[in-house]
Amino acid sequence: MSSAQSSLSQPVQPANPGPNVWLVRIAQLRAWLFLCLLLIFFETWARYQYGATFLFSTFNIQSVTVYAVAPLLLALGSTFVIISGGIDLSIGFIMGLSAVVSAHAINMASGYLPPFPAMLAGIVAGVAIAVIPGYVNGLLISKLRVPPFIGTLGMFGVARGVAFLLAGGTTVPVANDWFAALGNGRFFGFPNVVIVTILFLILMHYLLSQTRFGQHTYAIGASEQAALRAGINVSWHMQKLYVLSAVCAGIGGVLYAARYTAGAAQAGEPLLLDSIAAVVIGGASLFGGSGSISGTVAGALVIAVIQYGLVFINVEPFWQFVSVGVVIIISVLVDQAQRSIGGGRR
Amino acid sequence: MKRLLATIAALAVGATMLMGAAQAQDKKYTIALIPGLTTDAFYISMHKGAQAAADALGVNLVFQGAPDFNPVTQTPVLDAVIARKPDAILIAPTDKVQLVQPLKKAADAGIPVITVDTFIGTGKYQTGAGDADFPFSYIASDNVLGGRIAARALAKAIGEKGKVYVSNVKPGISTTDQREEGFKDEMKNYPNITVLETQFNDDDANKAASQFQAVFARNSDLDGVFGANLFSALGAANGVQQAGQSGKVRVAAFDAPASIVANIKSGLVDLAIAQHPSEIGYFGVVAAYAHLTGQSIPTSIGTGFTVMDKSNVDQPEVARFIYKE
Repeated sequence: MSSAQSSLSQPVQPANPGPNVWLVRIAQLRAWLFLCLLLIFFETWARYQYGATFLFSTFNIQSVTVYAVAPLLLALGSTFVIISGGIDLSIGFIMGLSAVVSAHAINMASGYLPPFPAMLAGIVAGVAIAVIPGYVNGLLISKLRVPPFIGTLGMFGVARGVAFLLAGGTTVPVANDWFAALGNGRFFGFPNVVIVTILFLILMHYLLSQTRFGQHTYAIGASEQAALRAGINVSWHMQKLYVLSAVCAGIGGVLYAARYTAGAAQAGEPLLLDSIAAVVIGGASLFGGSGSISGTVAGALVIAVIQYGLVFINVEPFWQFVSVGVVIIISVLVDQAQRSIGGGRR
Repeated sequence: MKRLLATIAALAVGATMLMGAAQAQDKKYTIALIPGLTTDAFYISMHKGAQAAADALGVNLVFQGAPDFNPVTQTPVLDAVIARKPDAILIAPTDKVQLVQPLKKAADAGIPVITVDTFIGTGKYQTGAGDADFPFSYIASDNVLGGRIAARALAKAIGEKGKVYVSNVKPGISTTDQREEGFKDEMKNYPNITVLETQFNDDDANKAASQFQAVFARNSDLDGVFGANLFSALGAANGVQQAGQSGKVRVAAFDAPASIVANIKSGLVDLAIAQHPSEIGYFGVVAAYAHLTGQSIPTSIGTGFTVMDKSNVDQPEVARFIYKE
């Protein structure tokens, strides 16, 4: 990631020699450092206060990772969009739309198909429906030059309305044992939703760090003009980015419906800001050009650990908001410092 | 000729008066119902009940609301409704304090206000005390009582001993605050039950599930959880399932939309306290009509509850309280 990023975003400047390189490295790993500090903090507190362990409990680890799954799936797509210099505000309700559609599709298909194919039909329908709002987002932003913030805000409303209409204003229960097992079952002790998410994030990591698609994403975020002059089909690329982001949200929605055996239109509403926070804590800049999947994973875990940990050590609930906010601010400050140390300017 | 003209004039005047009288008799009252949010089975059921009463009384019912439970989005809807000058407003105010001034505008414009489900100020109206006593009636389930019923049912389910906690949305919502209050107060009658600190989940099932797991991780002897609304209960039930505690940790839910009922059938939720929202809607319209036609109405009307569990949820007299879509 760093090689692609630095070579594209700072093409004229030579690599900064000396100790600063290490400072930059550390700054890039800041989300993982935060995570370690948090874990040490909670472990110390739990031992000191309760004589219990926080970190060395499989139960706690499972709980935190299951909690992180939903915001992380939204954040994975957002990482690409934010690196390209855009933002996608519609993902929360695209997730809800997918949850509702997959629940309905499974219920409908159950009339004609055995449970397993009915579940597959629901998953395909849930993910496929997400492509539509993603495609329209991409069209608005790349072809009609609508600013991403506004275009996706409009889609936020459309997806929300359609999801609620389809759900009839309530949650849609779904009865399918395979689907329930996908959402809540375990495979060798690992929750299925976590396994699915890990496989998907490895794919996303590969896509971003090892492929031309990933390089172009960084290039567009660093400078759209430069990317155009380098012969990148920017508009088509943007189109694909917003579809990717919507599909990530769609997978999140399907897994939500599987987990709660119900599709809810408002499923992703509270997750939007958490997912953007995860990307930013993970080291992405909202100006575009930097960010990584590994950072985003750490960012999502940071938020999950704070929220789970504060309940675990029995702290007043409202400190959760304060602490996530503080971590975001520190994260951005470190980002600024990194830019000035590394000599990068935006 | 003169007489003819006079006759025609007299006839015309008479006809106009007659027509006027006829119009007055045909005047359909318009009553507006503003729910806490439009996208919730509870308020959809309330709308159905209100519509039934409106049809029976020949009243025109307008249903307008915001998509989320928030004073910031509800106030503009209320303003727009006031601008249309309905004969009465039924509203589920989304905040005890923030909706007082916006609703005062309706009262000042001579539109009688009745609150349904939630209230403003203290919920005690027409007392001359405070600046929020102007609504004529408050029609709702007694949520404190609902909390008490939940506490009794949950206590029974866990054998009247052990640890429980409340999974709640956020503080400041009159109804969920009252459910928690009633629940905690009633639990004082069970000396062997400890109520742990309430967890607020911001109406996010994902957060409610994770909070359950964190509470359980610290209290492995946890016996029950009371989900004070839909997503609190759905999330807590999922937390129980993720922790492998289904059947060991009991889940009591408040409200009974289809998804909760499905969870009762699958055993993830042990019992649900169903309010009677369509009853609230029905009596809301009836009370408004009574007031408009010069009858006096009680300042508060309490509607009932039904406790649902696996054993009775299929019986028609219980199943009719499942919230409609």
